[in-house]
Amino acid sequence: MLVLRDLQKKYTKFRLGYFWSLLEPLGMSLVLWLVFSVLLGERALGLSPYLLFLSVAILPWWWFTKCVNASTKIFRGSRGGLTFSTLPPQIWVMKTVISSAIEFLFSLPVIVLAIALTRDLPGIYILLFPVAFILQFLLLYGIGLLVSSLSVMIPDLARVVKIVLRAMFYLSPILYSISNIPEQMQTVAAINPLVGILGLYRIGWWPEEQTSTTALVISLSVAATLFTAGILTFRGLKTRLFKEAK
Amino acid sequence: MSVVEVSNVSLAMPRTKRRQGSGRKHRLLRIAGETSRSMIPILDNVSFTINSGDSVAIVSGKPLLRTSLTRLVAGTLNPDSGSVVRSERVVAMIGIARAMGASFTLRQNAYLVGGLMGMTQEELTEKIPGIIKFADLGNYLDRYLRVAPSNARQRLAWSLAMAIDARVYAIDGTLVVGELEFRKKCWTAIDALREEGATFLISSHGGKHYRRFCDRGLYLDQGALIADTTVSKALALARKSRQESGGE
Repeated sequence: MLVLRDLQKKYTKFRLGYFWSLLEPLGMSLVLWLVFSVLLGERALGLSPYLLFLSVAILPWWWFTKCVNASTKIFRGSRGGLTFSTLPPQIWVMKTVISSAIEFLFSLPVIVLAIALTRDLPGIYILLFPVAFILQFLLLYGIGLLVSSLSVMIPDLARVVKIVLRAMFYLSPILYSISNIPEQMQTVAAINPLVGILGLYRIGWWPEEQTSTTALVISLSVAATLFTAGILTFRGLKTRLFKEAK
Repeated sequence: MSVVEVSNVSLAMPRTKRRQGSGRKHRLLRIAGETSRSMIPILDNVSFTINSGDSVAIVSGKPLLRTSLTRLVAGTLNPDSGSVVRSERVVAMIGIARAMGASFTLRQNAYLVGGLMGMTQEELTEKIPGIIKFADLGNYLDRYLRVAPSNARQRLAWSLAMAIDARVYAIDGTLVVGELEFRKKCWTAIDALREEGATFLISSHGGKHYRRFCDRGLYLDQGALIADTTVSKALALARKSRQESGGE
């Protein structure tokens, strides 16, 4: 129910409604493709076809930023039902994650379009795409719990999160491929939980993208740590959350 | 028979006002202080029992205290120490109207808020015609809340709460809302519920409602329960302390 309302809010306001969730990432992909592929020429950044390579990663990234940014606002202000509802407060975080996930699923036709344009069909590893989806979902739920409860205590966190997200955009293999990073640095880069997940999204088209299993393991265990940290922090701050609710 | 048992409850709430001021010291304090923002003790070792069929008024000069105590009883706030035991479902009427969205229709809001209050979807589908009829908002059911009359939020909130099958209500804020006609309806609804043996805990600022409804008054001051008597006595105590502090 909550999820439905959230989506309704987003889509009834604008005339193009649903199409915005297609146009936004599509526009972004096109701009980046134009800059990095056409204008800069063949600089061996990322893998070809670059348009497809880009859009496969940029959609999950989009989902990731939207959800984390929204999480900072969940328990701030007086909008919530914490004063009268006895439902567990986690549902508010769940709501944010689910509605942004649905938006992500809505935007998947962009990838289909990119496939149609580049005529590059994925291989058998595309079966890992849903796995990546589930992993990202869990990761976002964990981060959501962590960020939403902490930002009640520290209002400045919302700004910090914005900067961190911006940095992560360039630190994650979105514009480039993990294989663009020097071999010895790959393990360090893998501390970013998105490295593993984005790799799994892309593996269907570029099996060589996921080169080292260690990187994958590191990245996923960081994700698991974040998930646990989120759950524990939220549990610790729950009483305080209720107190801050107005 | 006791419905809610509050025993030895203590509670501290975060200060609502942030530190004011400018300058480096204040800025640093603000950054450091946000996480450890000072807590004000609100309740200190308070115990009381609400029996079935009671209408209890919380009398206190501090709005934060009234609201917090109402929320404690309703179970949307946990005490720092002590315990609150409820033997029945308590409907919390605290800030319901604020949770509604202006860009949703009244029907959508009813589903949303009703769901948050613990009603199931089928239950709501069945009850919404009655709820809207009670709120007298039939013309606005499928129109946005922002175009509905300004008191529509309150009216809808009230009607939703009344539609829940419960016998214990914890009410905060304005007790009766809207224009005279709707107010009368609320009075009648509450009176009818009271006759059926429903229990009320009411926290409001006006003494008029209290005298009209409640038979018992809890007077709290400085975080302690000072008197557990009749409403008029509790109100008299509150007036006295107000005059004393005002006279000094």
